[in-house]
Amino acid sequence: MDYILMGIGAVFGGPELFALGGIGIPAAPAMLFLGLLTGIAVGATPGLAGPMAMAVSLPILISIFGVRPDALLPVFGFLIGIMKGATVGGAVPAVLFNIPGTPDAFMTTLDGYPMTRRGMPKRALKIAHLSSVSGDTLSDIALFVCAPFLAVLVERFLDLPEKTALILLSLTFIAAVMGSSVGKGLIAIGLGMLAAMVATGQDFHPRLALGVDALSHGFPMVSAVLGILILGEIFWTLDDHWRGRVSRDATEATDAGPDGLRKGDVRRILPHILRSSLIGTVIGALPGVGSTLAATLGYTWGRRVHAKRKTPEQAAFGEGAPEGIAATEAANSAVSGANLIPVLSLGIPGNAAAVFLILAADSIGGFNPGPGVFTFSHPQINPELVVAFGIFTLMALGNLLNWTIGGVFMRAMGIMSRVPIRYLLPVVLLVTLTAIYVQDPRLGALWTAFGFGVLGYLFRCLRIPHLPFVIAFILAGSLENAARQAFSATGGDPFFLFSSWVSTAFMLMAIATVFLAGRAPGERRG
Amino acid sequence: MIRAIPTCAAALLAGACFTLPAFAQSAGWTPPGPITLMIGFAAGGGADTQARLVAQGIEDATGWTVLPQQVTGNSGLTLAQQLRDAPADGSVIGMIVSETLAYNAVRVGNPDLQASNFTPLATTAAFQLGLVAMANGDFASWEAVEAAHEAGRPIRLGTATERQADMAYHLGLGSGIEFNIVQVQGGSEIMNGLRAGDLDLGWVAGAQASAVAGGEMVNVASGIPTPLAESPDAPTIRELGSNFYLDGYFMFVAPAGIPDEAREALSGAIASVVQNPQTEAGALIARNFGGASVLTGEALDAYLQAAVEDSVRLIDTVR
Repeated sequence: MDYILMGIGAVFGGPELFALGGIGIPAAPAMLFLGLLTGIAVGATPGLAGPMAMAVSLPILISIFGVRPDALLPVFGFLIGIMKGATVGGAVPAVLFNIPGTPDAFMTTLDGYPMTRRGMPKRALKIAHLSSVSGDTLSDIALFVCAPFLAVLVERFLDLPEKTALILLSLTFIAAVMGSSVGKGLIAIGLGMLAAMVATGQDFHPRLALGVDALSHGFPMVSAVLGILILGEIFWTLDDHWRGRVSRDATEATDAGPDGLRKGDVRRILPHILRSSLIGTVIGALPGVGSTLAATLGYTWGRRVHAKRKTPEQAAFGEGAPEGIAATEAANSAVSGANLIPVLSLGIPGNAAAVFLILAADSIGGFNPGPGVFTFSHPQINPELVVAFGIFTLMALGNLLNWTIGGVFMRAMGIMSRVPIRYLLPVVLLVTLTAIYVQDPRLGALWTAFGFGVLGYLFRCLRIPHLPFVIAFILAGSLENAARQAFSATGGDPFFLFSSWVSTAFMLMAIATVFLAGRAPGERRG
Repeated sequence: MIRAIPTCAAALLAGACFTLPAFAQSAGWTPPGPITLMIGFAAGGGADTQARLVAQGIEDATGWTVLPQQVTGNSGLTLAQQLRDAPADGSVIGMIVSETLAYNAVRVGNPDLQASNFTPLATTAAFQLGLVAMANGDFASWEAVEAAHEAGRPIRLGTATERQADMAYHLGLGSGIEFNIVQVQGGSEIMNGLRAGDLDLGWVAGAQASAVAGGEMVNVASGIPTPLAESPDAPTIRELGSNFYLDGYFMFVAPAGIPDEAREALSGAIASVVQNPQTEAGALIARNFGGASVLTGEALDAYLQAAVEDSVRLIDTVR
């Protein structure tokens, strides 16, 4: 209980950003607010996504706030703001222009755009906002309850071999559920771990550096991750653009008549919001399964229920049903909070947004996401736990802001979807390269980023999912450490992964995941 | 011009009175730009925090800009390699432990990494190294450790460096207890491992102080020749069968050949920050290590030389 109060105190009692009328504005909530606005704008811009904005802003934030422990909460505030804002903002172009601002808003176009064409854009946006924020809030509550509980459970019952097996299971699961085939997912995981092996490990000589001086320090994490995620995406979009595979026509006019939420709307969509939030939360808690799947599941499930219960005068899904928007938006927004459950309790990132939160924690220091965070030590204070509760406070605050001003700002952001890609891409490229250079002022870091960008482009050409690569790159160190420690702790037992029934069960589940997912090929995208 | 004379005189006087703190202000040396501080410790641990607080303290005291940067890996040798190649003008310094340039450099044998390639600036704190266990666990005293061994129970001992691992092995040989030696990434991770039950014992070099004072953990044995501040009665590892201590210092280093005035100014700035309990760094060191232990100049050169010779002997004994 004391920790919760301390966490809240840390958010509001942090360093002052500036003073307004003699009253200091604490940095963390202010950054959260700015992040939220940025996130909504970014989410509303097709071609940009929340993780991209988080990636670019992270190095810049670090250069502003430095790498002191008191920088953690303001930086997290901004990143969480972006995460929350982008979830809400993604619905804007989907509803207004039939363009999903973020991939998971695709389902929103199905009902949102028909509503706009029937002259109800405001009503559609308000429903999207309401559902999105409700989904997010419910999911956050699940996070606040589950993460500490799960972490304590893990620490109490899992020994080193079991922890190793758990990381292996997560990686396998991520390989299996992301992308078009398990094989490609495993390739991505393998390559990611290979890249992370360079110049790490416990030996006194840099490993796998091939005697090359530039390799002997390993690949800088920020350059590698930004390279794969952003430069790769930019190269791919450029390629698309040159070949004319995409034509973005955002000239559809809207006829915004007098509309808005109608009486009974909330009651109509509430069951859909609750159902989809639950789906999103459960899906989000599994590492690697993205919000797109949650949105699809929420939508299809909602459609089935709606088809049975609807009155004849109500629109069916796909024809402008408010329930359709609610089912989609609640599901994809509910992913974002629950996605932090594996991050905070196990240190395993489940999606790109979580990757950047881990990167932030890693670069600033003083907070190592993982089960160790939730050690309620007495009498000395565990500063990491205070940070964790600070993060929870920020998330709750973010929801509050989203409820209040988010909707207003969101409806003003329709204009962002008209920015042509030929202006957008160079700006993103420039900002990304600047961000990398700010974080690591060496030309080598830029070359690394370009190298990984090309790799990311090749991944996209070959339809190999790139996120498993990034997650494996980040988790490889933990996996290696856990395996080493488990090996020596069991007195050098080579079969330590099968030394207890829990770890054996994890290993069997990992193998089963590969086989089951491999047998049922289908369209699965993370 | 004339007005400057009293100022200079005052500065000299102040320098005579407070030799160490005054170095920073009066040595006339200013860094050519921002100082990069390479930190050879895992982010978020006790040593990392210490380095960052010292950096902050130097900034506050001198107005210089200090940019901390994590350069971890290979027990500080990654940092040593990068630092050796960095410009020797005081713009790049590093924080490591003395054993990086002593035991680790000797062990790896790479001529680039030997202590002669570096200028030691100042030590900040001596290891308060203890063999730590949970107070309410099954290994809370050396007798309990022996009893567990006799009962045939495997005992996991967490180590954060190669030297600690060698010493664990050496202690095992001397005391007749074979440990399962588990390498982790620093003292705070050892403490987390102890709390989680992943480890039974572990070497911790000072971060355990408040946990021991609060009754959560105990120092089963001491790894240093002087009594541990928190547990003066703990037996030393030499009494338990080891031929060596596991002593050492946290220290700042620069590349070899930096100008003398730069060395003096940097050493002085570091020393004045850590010796002042009013600074956050000084307070942290007082809390975790019972106070700063500052060696600079020739005294530090001599200590490092002795530590190198000890390391050669330890490696010979263990091999």
